[in-house]
Amino acid sequence: MACHIPRLVSLLKKKHFLCCISAVALKRMLNFNAPPLKNTAAEPVWKVLIYDRFGQDIISPLLSVKELRDMGITLHLLLHSDRDPIPDVPAIYFVMPTEENIDRICQDLRNQLYESYYLNFISAISRSKLEDIASAALAANAVTQVTKVFDQYLNFITLEDDMFILCHQNKELISYHAINRADIQDTDMEAIMDTIVDSLFCFFVTLGAVPIIRCPRGNAAEMVAVKLDKKLRENLRDARNSLFTGDSMTAGQFSFQRPLFVLVDRNVDMATPLHHTWTYQALIHDVLDFHLNRVVMEEGMGAEPSAGARPKKKSRKTYDLTAADKFWQKHKGSPFPEVAESVQEELDTYRAQEDEVKRLKSIMGLEGEDEGAISMLSDNTAKLTSAVSSLPELLEKKRLIDLHTNVATAVLDHIKSRKLDVYFEFEEKLMSKSTLDKSLLDIISDPDAGTPEDKMRLFLIYYITAQQAPSESDLEQYKKALLDAVCDLSPLNYIKQWKAFTKMAATPANYGNSGVKPMGLFSRVMNTGSQFVMEGVKNLVLKQHNLPVTRILDNLMEMKSHPETDDYRYFDPKMLRGSESSIPRNKNPFQEAIVFVVGGGNYIEYQNLVDYTKSKQGKKIVYGCSELFNASQFIKQLSQLGQK
Amino acid sequence: MAVDITLLFKASVKTVKTRNKAIGIGFDSTKDEIFKRSRPKSGFSPRAKEVITNITKLKDFLLQHRKDYVSAGSLISSDLSRMTDNDRDQIDQDAQIFMRTCSEAIKQLRNEAEKQVISAQIKEHRGAVLDLIETYLKGVCKLYSEQRAIRVKRMVDKKRLSRLVPEHHGPVEKKVEVEPTEEDTVKEGSSEKTASSEVQDNPVNLWEESRVEDELSPEEIQMFEQENQRLISEMNSLVDEVRQIEGKVVEISRLQEIFAEKVLQQEAEIDNIHQLVVGATENVKEGNEDIREAIKNNAGFRVWILFFLVMCSFSLLFLDWYDS
Repeated sequence: MACHIPRLVSLLKKKHFLCCISAVALKRMLNFNAPPLKNTAAEPVWKVLIYDRFGQDIISPLLSVKELRDMGITLHLLLHSDRDPIPDVPAIYFVMPTEENIDRICQDLRNQLYESYYLNFISAISRSKLEDIASAALAANAVTQVTKVFDQYLNFITLEDDMFILCHQNKELISYHAINRADIQDTDMEAIMDTIVDSLFCFFVTLGAVPIIRCPRGNAAEMVAVKLDKKLRENLRDARNSLFTGDSMTAGQFSFQRPLFVLVDRNVDMATPLHHTWTYQALIHDVLDFHLNRVVMEEGMGAEPSAGARPKKKSRKTYDLTAADKFWQKHKGSPFPEVAESVQEELDTYRAQEDEVKRLKSIMGLEGEDEGAISMLSDNTAKLTSAVSSLPELLEKKRLIDLHTNVATAVLDHIKSRKLDVYFEFEEKLMSKSTLDKSLLDIISDPDAGTPEDKMRLFLIYYITAQQAPSESDLEQYKKALLDAVCDLSPLNYIKQWKAFTKMAATPANYGNSGVKPMGLFSRVMNTGSQFVMEGVKNLVLKQHNLPVTRILDNLMEMKSHPETDDYRYFDPKMLRGSESSIPRNKNPFQEAIVFVVGGGNYIEYQNLVDYTKSKQGKKIVYGCSELFNASQFIKQLSQLGQK
Repeated sequence: MAVDITLLFKASVKTVKTRNKAIGIGFDSTKDEIFKRSRPKSGFSPRAKEVITNITKLKDFLLQHRKDYVSAGSLISSDLSRMTDNDRDQIDQDAQIFMRTCSEAIKQLRNEAEKQVISAQIKEHRGAVLDLIETYLKGVCKLYSEQRAIRVKRMVDKKRLSRLVPEHHGPVEKKVEVEPTEEDTVKEGSSEKTASSEVQDNPVNLWEESRVEDELSPEEIQMFEQENQRLISEMNSLVDEVRQIEGKVVEISRLQEIFAEKVLQQEAEIDNIHQLVVGATENVKEGNEDIREAIKNNAGFRVWILFFLVMCSFSLLFLDWYDS
């Protein structure tokens, strides 16, 4: 294990952080838990990969099918599917240690499906289940076939370099609704907390660092922090089996400082998940179907079919937005009009390169007659070789440009039909408490601005950010207008309750000062060559402002004193005695931080944190949440809560 | 970080064994083991592994001799070089034969895998295994072709440096670096000078005097010599061109390979399209037939209607006449 530490350290110095660690761990697992060799043309060893749905969600954002093939995986199958015996191939299992999975593994052992078995469990497996497998292996005489058993501690999904979520399957079990519903039992809460703490523990084991934990008092976040602290402490005490010492730690990574782990609850900021957004990635998540870095769109939404003709079939297309896509990496946080322009630019550069390649044809034709210039001919051969070898790159570029054109066009259609720019502007003004030029009632009663859900979101944000609650008559007026627009009012009930519960009335959530300047109705994006005709869509410019979560993080990282965060509890699992005080022992500002939102998060907060990181040099911030929802999913949960 | 709990697993196996012994459950382990051992000897997997070991042998062989093969050292072909051109040619030939046999073996395996009636998963698995082996072979072939291209390029460059053609801009200063072994060029240089200047005197005459007197007159000898020199220079240039063309051909063959691959890919797609088009033509023909049928039926139907109406009117007239 020690041999690959220098390599891992150099990997970590690169900009890509979380993705690399998880991908490296996965690749090592796929190479039979030996460090992968970087040999050119190494001998291929083939294997079969078996995963369950959890494993699939973990692997799919990190490794593509082609990369799996390159690593020698010939087949990848679901655990609970019908699998045929392939008797001369080693099989790598990557599953959660649940009852059904263990039963299925024992069944496989009895049926002798494969030659040898490498079992990797996503989170730690209990002793009794291990004994179940042992007895099945004994019964099937397959003990020698079970070559290795590993606990991978990878029970979290890495979506980006600095973003992770807990789980995608069964996310209703730990959703905001599940945590905050009125009829929740203690046992249910315990189960939810255990799940969350297990995943967070796996995260820190993979990271190889013991953090310092800060959390607010009196809500779900505190419970999670207490449990996590306890678990880390137990593990550190157990010197024999500790996961954080010795060769398992990636040395040199956090050698000088420990990271800060900030746990917040969703209730600290309810307006951001409902907010309409204007950056590319957040827009895609809000408007299209976007899960685990994969967009699913319906194509072919043409005009009404003429009578008698068969209606045009809508085909569903899926696109993967990965780390290898440079355009995506550069522009996922930029405002939408910028994205449109950049796509146009990329298209132009691509066309120029294509013309270059085509011109070579004519050059080759001319040079054939000039016999004396053999050296010139060799130049052309070299040019041809370089053109041919750059062809795959060009094709890849074209595919990406097509992908982004389609996606951006779909987003633009939504924006235009729902007038999302109007909502965005209005909400920004609400959240920054600047003067409104249109009244809320106008927008709500406007029949062709947005879906009922959009109007509900706007009203909820107004309600949440209002300094004092609106008067009864105003409220009735708004309610009537909303009912006219066919909105569901149950989320409002819940938000009223929430506002009463929290102490938000005392310290109103300050969303910072942001000015939104519309850049004129007809911007220069709208020219004849452009495919994106943004008539009537105002070109809005975002000014930097900090959302509540970012502000909390800023206070804690820089050790600033602020009434909001002074009350936070302080946990240090490495200290010998757990102390109840909330006085931090460490006076220096932190360099690395991990923010985790219990109850759900979204891309707007993530983007805000990324922007904050960019403004501070040398700090690394990772964002995590128990689930990722967009506004419509959140509203659904709120209405479920409001109906009780 | 992943934690290896294999030892824990083995400990649990022991625990379970002792527990089972205590309860009294026994297993007859020997029978099943014998069954397991008798795996098919000539199965798919052992043969595939064999192909891989062969390719590895080839790769090791190439890498081992790579240094010698590519050693340019200096342009002087002294006896310090460890490999003659003959050896290099031998290596080239051997490598090519080897690669051909390997790709044949892969093709054979693929055909057999196609013919065998087995489950879809195993088929997919075997297809993927063969793809992996092919990629491996391609990697090793690339090693070989890189080596070869370097060698040919070096020879071409060597020739180009050593050539002394005054009308070419450039190698005039390279005359100084000419190897002493290239006697041709030295002679060429001097003969060029003599050819371009006036009638020879001393060197030629010296030659003449030292040679046995035959019936040739001095002018004729000189002319013959000039012709000789000219022929030699022509031959040399031809040889040079041939070598350069060889280098170019190697590059072109590599490009050709790439193109051939692409064309083969497109062939499968074009076959597909062809079949679809044939199907479409059939459908269109049938559609036409059906339309014709329909028209005929329509016409026939109309005729019958007309007939019926005429009959009706006649019957009405008849009844009317009958009644009156």
